Amino acid sequence: MIVIQNARLRSFLRILTLLLIPSVAVLGYFLLRGTGYVVTSVTVASLSVVLFLCGFDRRKTGSRRLVLVSVMIALSVLGRFFPLLKPVTAVAVITGVYLGMEAGFLTGAFSALISNFYYGQGPWTPFQMFAWGILAFLAGALARPLQKSRTLLCLYGALSGILYSLIMDIWSAVFASGGFSLPIYLAKVVTALPHTVLYAVSNVIFLFLMAKPFGEKLTRIKRKYGV
Amino acid sequence: MALLTVENLSFTYAGEETPALQDVSFSIRRGEMVVLCGATGCGKSTLMRLFKREISPMGEVSGEILLGGTPTASLSVRESAARIGYVMQHPEEQIVTDKVWHELAFGLESLGYPRDAIRRRVAEMASYFDIEPWFDKDTASLSGGQKQLLNLAAVLVTDPELLLLDEPTAQLDPIAAADFIDTLRRLNRELGLTMLLIEHRPEEVMPICDRLMIMEEGRLLAIDTPRRVMETLGTRPEILCGMPASVRLFHTLGENGTPPLGIREGREFLKASYANDVRALPHEPYTHGERVALSMKNVCFRYEKTGADVLRDTTLEVFEGEILCLLGANGSGKTTALSVAAGLFKPYSGTVRVFGKKQKDYRDGSLYRSCVALLPQNVQTVFLKSTVREELADAGADPAALPYDLTHLMARHPYDLSGGERQLVALAKVLATSPRLLLADEPTKGLDANAKRHLIEIFRTLKQNGVTVVIVTHDTELAAELCDRAALFFRGGIASISTPRAFFSENRFYTTAVSRMTRGIYDNAVTQSDAVSLCRQNGRRGGAS
Amino acid sequence: MKSLERSHPTVTLLYFLAVTLPVMLCMEPLLLCISLAGALALLFSRTGGRNIRTLLYFLALLLLIALVNPLFQHDGVTVLFFLNGNPVTWEAIAFGLCAGAMTLAVLCWFLSMSQMMTTDKYLCVFGALSPKLSLMLSMALRFVPLFTKRMHAVRLAQRGLGLYRDGTLPDKLRGELRVFSVTVTWALENGIHTADSMEARGYGTGRRTAYAEYDFHAWDGALLALILLMLALTLCGLLTDAVAVTFYPALVRAERGVLAALTYAAYTLLSFLPTLLTVQEKIKWHFLQSKI
Repeated sequence: MIVIQNARLRSFLRILTLLLIPSVAVLGYFLLRGTGYVVTSVTVASLSVVLFLCGFDRRKTGSRRLVLVSVMIALSVLGRFFPLLKPVTAVAVITGVYLGMEAGFLTGAFSALISNFYYGQGPWTPFQMFAWGILAFLAGALARPLQKSRTLLCLYGALSGILYSLIMDIWSAVFASGGFSLPIYLAKVVTALPHTVLYAVSNVIFLFLMAKPFGEKLTRIKRKYGV
Repeated sequence: MALLTVENLSFTYAGEETPALQDVSFSIRRGEMVVLCGATGCGKSTLMRLFKREISPMGEVSGEILLGGTPTASLSVRESAARIGYVMQHPEEQIVTDKVWHELAFGLESLGYPRDAIRRRVAEMASYFDIEPWFDKDTASLSGGQKQLLNLAAVLVTDPELLLLDEPTAQLDPIAAADFIDTLRRLNRELGLTMLLIEHRPEEVMPICDRLMIMEEGRLLAIDTPRRVMETLGTRPEILCGMPASVRLFHTLGENGTPPLGIREGREFLKASYANDVRALPHEPYTHGERVALSMKNVCFRYEKTGADVLRDTTLEVFEGEILCLLGANGSGKTTALSVAAGLFKPYSGTVRVFGKKQKDYRDGSLYRSCVALLPQNVQTVFLKSTVREELADAGADPAALPYDLTHLMARHPYDLSGGERQLVALAKVLATSPRLLLADEPTKGLDANAKRHLIEIFRTLKQNGVTVVIVTHDTELAAELCDRAALFFRGGIASISTPRAFFSENRFYTTAVSRMTRGIYDNAVTQSDAVSLCRQNGRRGGAS
Repeated sequence: MKSLERSHPTVTLLYFLAVTLPVMLCMEPLLLCISLAGALALLFSRTGGRNIRTLLYFLALLLLIALVNPLFQHDGVTVLFFLNGNPVTWEAIAFGLCAGAMTLAVLCWFLSMSQMMTTDKYLCVFGALSPKLSLMLSMALRFVPLFTKRMHAVRLAQRGLGLYRDGTLPDKLRGELRVFSVTVTWALENGIHTADSMEARGYGTGRRTAYAEYDFHAWDGALLALILLMLALTLCGLLTDAVAVTFYPALVRAERGVLAALTYAAYTLLSFLPTLLTVQEKIKWHFLQSKI
């Protein structure tokens, strides 16, 4: 059991990860001369997720906040099971907007991980975790304008659906061709278009109808339980 | 030696004027089992939470709480967590993790125990509570009784000295509840575990507890042996209604002295004190309306193609204007039958007719317009909005048309209401479609005696207004008092059906406390008023009255 | 000796990362064939023919990738024919086939991994790294089936109230969002009880430990060492270009020497290790049973 007890060691690890990401990317490019795109990209994605998660364990998180984030993760996973619509990222975006950037990232990343227990894990999991997480994280960073205007929120929802698809297309292009080439990427983008549109439209519909009640519910919980 | 001492404890919630607790003083000795009773909102849960500083409510406290001589406020959070165990009402919400073994380990993980110590304790707990057969299961797949047993074991894993239980059996069916209370008794007798228990099941807990505490409006009315408490407070109706049947009968008959406690003593008291020359009340003839409100004919249903039949050739007729209670064990199919009647599941053979018309001929949701409505078992499935007013508006309910008053609750959030109030709001939403056939799934689950009385009155009013009611329930007292006919559901069909007096006096085990108590003395006393009127007709033995 | 599935979760997880790493690093045909054979052998030795349909789907994916590549990639010297004025080359087809084989191999390995690595095994691995994240994951894993069940109950309840209709598509959509909304309230409002239950059992009073049912035995250590050794040998071969292959402009395989043979041998052992263990276990059981 490797429980990292030492706080300094943990922060060192965090900085190490931060340095590792660009070095892996650079090293991967030169050392592997283009044949190692897949490994490099998976490593970079995994390390990015680790970077965001590092330090979470050290901070004191109240039980209520922890429960709240777990609930949001589960609801976000249910979002992926939603009939007709596929509002991936929508619930995570709401979490980011109302509960903050870190909660957003956790919700996004972990709902990707957990839904893949149902859809299948693979090297694509870190990509999904990163994509889903970072979009919710950014929503958290833009919390103020997004809370104020439903139009902006819907716009962000559409954008996050498209971006999610575009990020995942990088992965499928790299994975399918063992290297990155623009024409193949574009082909992937085009073939994935129906999905992209579905994600974007789903997010917009979902956020348009659910953002307000969802926000009211979360605000009430935050006030009532002092989270 | 006192384990828990409370001295002049008063408490006021932050932002409120009136204190929730006033000047409460008592002490609990090591090894005692104390039951705490009182109406909803009397402050009993608040009192219990104050003993555990990690979950104490915010507000102003005065007075002292001592655990083994140390003020609880000066205990470290860690010590408080380990030394005082706390089990709540909701079996499901207390569970934290996804696996049974992980849940057992949770408390020890939180306290930072090493692996080997956790393994030893978890193994011990699982063996003592016989959890081993489902040790590897997902917590989501357990039954309510198993969940609550797991919660108990998961609390006891840190070896607490004092166990606090806040209505632990309110959400359980009678058999699981009796098992749970029996486990508590075993813990108390075998291990000498001290416990303070809030409970609404007088028949089961009164005979086994050492002392009984009664609270009213934030004050402690009494703490003494149950017998003595009932002797002094038994004449007050609002307290009496939460007492065992033997005590209720004793006081309703106007007796003085020490009341009998439990079925056996009640029977001895009746035998000794009252004659039984008139053994039975006349059977009231069963008359029913002309039209059939609901008819099920040879209905078969299963949830999965390859699964077993849940309903097997179920045949049932409910007449207009009557109240029918469906009783039976868990898994006997009674809730499924109700759902089929409500058109939520489609049977694979047989016909269901509602007011003479085939169910499938109701199109475009017309079945749910002024026709059928189902009050679900869990009313949390009903609430959507943030105030009661919005909830009623959402369903299109007119508060003025309700047979009861909700105006004082209008501005509140449905989840801030008590269980009884929540039930009333849910019922209001159900009644919004002005149904002629109301189906209710365990409407009295988890309610205290007063809320139950209120609900019975409402069902009576609905009946007078011509509504046909079918209730699925485990509550034999409710059925005996309310229904026109009672039916026993068994293996997906009706095993017996008749008027409550005939039904419960024929049943030996599945019957009311009064019926069990008067068996062999009177023939068909099933409710308290039956027993009282028979006793009065016969008069006291030896001429004294 | 224990099968990979019954070894410590960390070992199981690391094995799958180790066995997929070389094929993702280098598209060498022989290495890919070994990997594919190992992955299929493991699948069949564990579950027999139950995964045929999934495999056929994967195979279709391989062919698709192999066919798509030459449409976009026109490098290579061996032109087979022209399509819409663009050359279709043998090298591009070969590259596509290798890329497809890599995809297929990785998918097969991860299919086995999904079957072996149950959620509590992931929690065991995560728990060692971060007890709190592992707890959060465990809670969320509990909530998913719970909320699914609740959504079903809510759907029935709302239908019984006459508030959920599924006639037209917008009706159904509105109904589903309604159901979701009720579930959200239910989940959020009741979270407080869960939080209280955690506090009452000492959450947040100090550093958590993470308990897991799995022990790390000597066997797990030995197996892990073997896996890492084989991986190191394979990577040596890969990084020193002992088994290098270039596709463009022409398909060239470097001269294969002793190091190449060593690389292939190491990777073969790595790929077939779990199958050997599974078969070994089955044979042992067979003999034990015949003695009973």
